[in-house]
Amino acid sequence: MGVLRLSHAEVRVPDLELATAYYTEVVGLIETARENERVFLKCWDEHQHHSLVLNYAPTYGLDVVGWKLEAQEDLDEFTARIEAAGFACKRYAKGELGGGSGETVRFTGPSGHVNDLVWGMEQVGNLLPLHNPPPEPQGLVGIHPARIDHIFLMCEDVDGVTEFYRNVLDFRLTEQIVADDGYQLVTFLERTNSPHDLAFVTGPNQGFHHVAFWVDDWNQLRVAADICAYHGVRIDAGPTRHGATRGWGLYFFDPAGNRNEVYTGGYWADPDREPITWTEAEMGRAVFYYEGVVDQRFLTVHS
Amino acid sequence: MVARMGILRLSHVDITVPDLDLAAAYYTGVLGLLESERTDDRIFFKCWDEEDHHSLAVRYDPRVGIDRFSFKVEDEEDLEELETKVEEYGFRVHRVSRGEEVGQGASIRFETPSGHEMELVHDVEKVGGLLGKFNPGAIPVGMQGIAPPRMDHLLINAEEVGVATRFYMDVLGFRLTEQLIGSDGHQIGTWLERSHTPHDIAVVNGPNGALHHFAYWLDDWDHVRQAADILAYNSIQIDVGPTRHGVTRGNTIYFFDPMGTRNEVFTGGYRPDPDFPTITWTEDNIGRAVFYYEGEVNERFIKVHT
Repeated sequence: MGVLRLSHAEVRVPDLELATAYYTEVVGLIETARENERVFLKCWDEHQHHSLVLNYAPTYGLDVVGWKLEAQEDLDEFTARIEAAGFACKRYAKGELGGGSGETVRFTGPSGHVNDLVWGMEQVGNLLPLHNPPPEPQGLVGIHPARIDHIFLMCEDVDGVTEFYRNVLDFRLTEQIVADDGYQLVTFLERTNSPHDLAFVTGPNQGFHHVAFWVDDWNQLRVAADICAYHGVRIDAGPTRHGATRGWGLYFFDPAGNRNEVYTGGYWADPDREPITWTEAEMGRAVFYYEGVVDQRFLTVHS
Repeated sequence: MVARMGILRLSHVDITVPDLDLAAAYYTGVLGLLESERTDDRIFFKCWDEEDHHSLAVRYDPRVGIDRFSFKVEDEEDLEELETKVEEYGFRVHRVSRGEEVGQGASIRFETPSGHEMELVHDVEKVGGLLGKFNPGAIPVGMQGIAPPRMDHLLINAEEVGVATRFYMDVLGFRLTEQLIGSDGHQIGTWLERSHTPHDIAVVNGPNGALHHFAYWLDDWDHVRQAADILAYNSIQIDVGPTRHGVTRGNTIYFFDPMGTRNEVFTGGYRPDPDFPTITWTEDNIGRAVFYYEGEVNERFIKVHT
């Protein structure tokens, strides 16, 4: 059955207490576990143990991107495919990678990012009962997005990396921004019939552009912007609309300098939907539809 | 990979109407669908963001009702596999050849335990969305009416909800997200999905073969408010809402087309993984389960179907 969706991201932060305070009180995630130099967080509506892990490090950036697999047999299938494509895999037993982790295949892909393919992460339940539940819990703080949505990474060879994720992991291309020289500047890839679960933008290998969380609607983006501004969190861009994906987004930075997004909207993508192509001349509208231009900070700042 | 993909999503609903011109005026002018084809006795409609030929077909008949509902499968091979499973379950499958049906290729049709004709199809004619594939705008400008981007789900009636539900789960691979359990322990309502949404089809207690409603997706609650304004402006009878469901957590309005078929506009919900634990509602909470703000279900909503 393959990759179901984005499972989690592990990010580096130099100040674990500050980062935890930010992610629980401003973003409004829930702390589910704490280990030596690691804090595990989830969104309120997620059933699984974590969707974000903060790892203490003297720097910032992305340690691991995790993908949820639909079936246990996918672990072997993907190991064979990834190794056939020339990348080494390492297998971890359930729990071996700490805090609620499932059975995992870990590999470093062509973009230099460490990917975990995970089956069977511990389920802790969302914050609602399974009998006669209200639609949402009361008393949540901060933005409190419902769930993780997608991740945006950087790499030098967007064409080659995109091919890897399409051919080896069965991601489907929904949109692309193509440079005047014919190379892909940005690609948007999905497994969930949404506009994107994963995107790559031209930049240094291992670069981390942002991780995005889902909110219900445009009004929630307004509330999120109020919350960021109230807490003195630096807003990078938005609230605005994306041309690519048709979603609405608000970008801001965590205290370590990792970029976050809250996102909503988009469309349903059938597996046979023909990809949308944006030209370099229209890149401004593709990224920020209302402004029509992309600022340098958005293109160059990453972690 | 290890298993076939199976059913992808709801493809189209085929209903009967006693007045084709009135149906066309309502579904294009008020609902804001696009007419994609017309034959002697049928009209085919699609939403602006749908790329397939149609998501609603209306056929002239003196009686209002439902001909069938159709789900799209991910691969052509799924049709054969599901045909075998349906026949093994004891239901006869009728094959529709390419060229027999408007806007689509080969399909299979069969009667379900709830007395509905169901269709599975893969090869649907692509007519494209309104935005194109090259530096597209974010929305089409100048649409009439509510203009939902796509169809979302349907709700059917069944005398034996439990039996109908087992068929959709065991034979067709639907997953149960929520259920409403009567005080006698039987299922009164079930919500089933294939598209990682709260529901693609739901079954509630009522006469076999009946349609309760079909629903269109809207972007958000603000779009739901605008839809209510458009319905009221056009003197369309609103059944319930705008309100919230306890089941599915979605926001909604129910209303009737001029011939009596119930429509819904819907937004919100959540994203259930295949291992999502089923939510159970008890009969004493039926009011909040169906209409979370009102806490009670009106008789019309329970009794009227087509």
